[in-house]
Amino acid sequence: MGGAAVTDTKHEPGMKEYITIWVGLLCIVGIETFLTTLHLSSHRLLAALLVLAFIEAGIALLYFMHLKYEKPSLFWSLVPAVIFVLFMMNHIWPDAYRMLNLRVPNQ
Amino acid sequence: MSESEMTLEAGHAAALEPSPYGIQSKKLTMWLFIISDAVTFGAILFGYSYLRAGTPGWPTPFQFSPSIVNGLVMTFVLLTSSLTMLAAVAAAKQGRKSSCLLWMSATIVLGIIFAALHLREWSHMFAEGWSLSKNPLGGPVQFGATFFSITGLHLMHVISGIIALIVIAIGYNTDWLDAGHVETTGLYWHFVDLVWMFVFPLLYLMNTAR
Repeated sequence: MGGAAVTDTKHEPGMKEYITIWVGLLCIVGIETFLTTLHLSSHRLLAALLVLAFIEAGIALLYFMHLKYEKPSLFWSLVPAVIFVLFMMNHIWPDAYRMLNLRVPNQ
Repeated sequence: MSESEMTLEAGHAAALEPSPYGIQSKKLTMWLFIISDAVTFGAILFGYSYLRAGTPGWPTPFQFSPSIVNGLVMTFVLLTSSLTMLAAVAAAKQGRKSSCLLWMSATIVLGIIFAALHLREWSHMFAEGWSLSKNPLGGPVQFGATFFSITGLHLMHVISGIIALIVIAIGYNTDWLDAGHVETTGLYWHFVDLVWMFVFPLLYLMNTAR
């Protein structure tokens, strides 16, 4: 079994490209931290941090996890399913607010 | 050709059918694990966010120094460990065993540093009086429960990854395992890094918002 190389992927970036991506990810973390010093409202800060986190995650998925270099069928089988589940979760979780708004007021 | 021979031939053809995704079965299995784990982390991070938004007086105990600075160092260490893992996978694919083992060792060391920094932060928080059910600042106690649960689950993934890397490195060194195993473990390690990209802003950086 030993020594067999994996050749089931298309051409992949070399270490130079990986280092560039790594620096880019560190820059995004730097921007995230800088945003916290601007004293934004919590809603604006949350929105900005989530956008940057999704950009980071997308870069990590496509390049570090090589999803960009796999067959498109793998991407289309995995990513839309996760996004759909997370999207549905976001519709179910706010139901927790019902406890705050519909509860019987304290006597 | 008899019916039994035809059945046998059809069975072999099915066994030799190429993967629709063009990847090894172990890699596909890891991808399926990763998406299910992503949903798990998604659920607890959604839960944390809604709990925080719906709880008046949510504690914000982290100052830029030392908490955010410590988080930044942890992020740097974890991102760098992803880079060393990429180098290990690239070396394994090219059959450079000693180089692969060297980079895997670097990844393991960085993982241990990340875990140590995390545990050090926890010990400081315990010393300040934080626990799963205690808030030394007064107010809602859910902060400790959610913070330690989320970071604990992530830390458990990091420690599991370190153990997996050690096992895979030993197996690869003894030719018991191949480059495909190194690549599959790398996928898991990058996922652990990816999860931290959400944990750090939501739990640490958002703590600076009033």
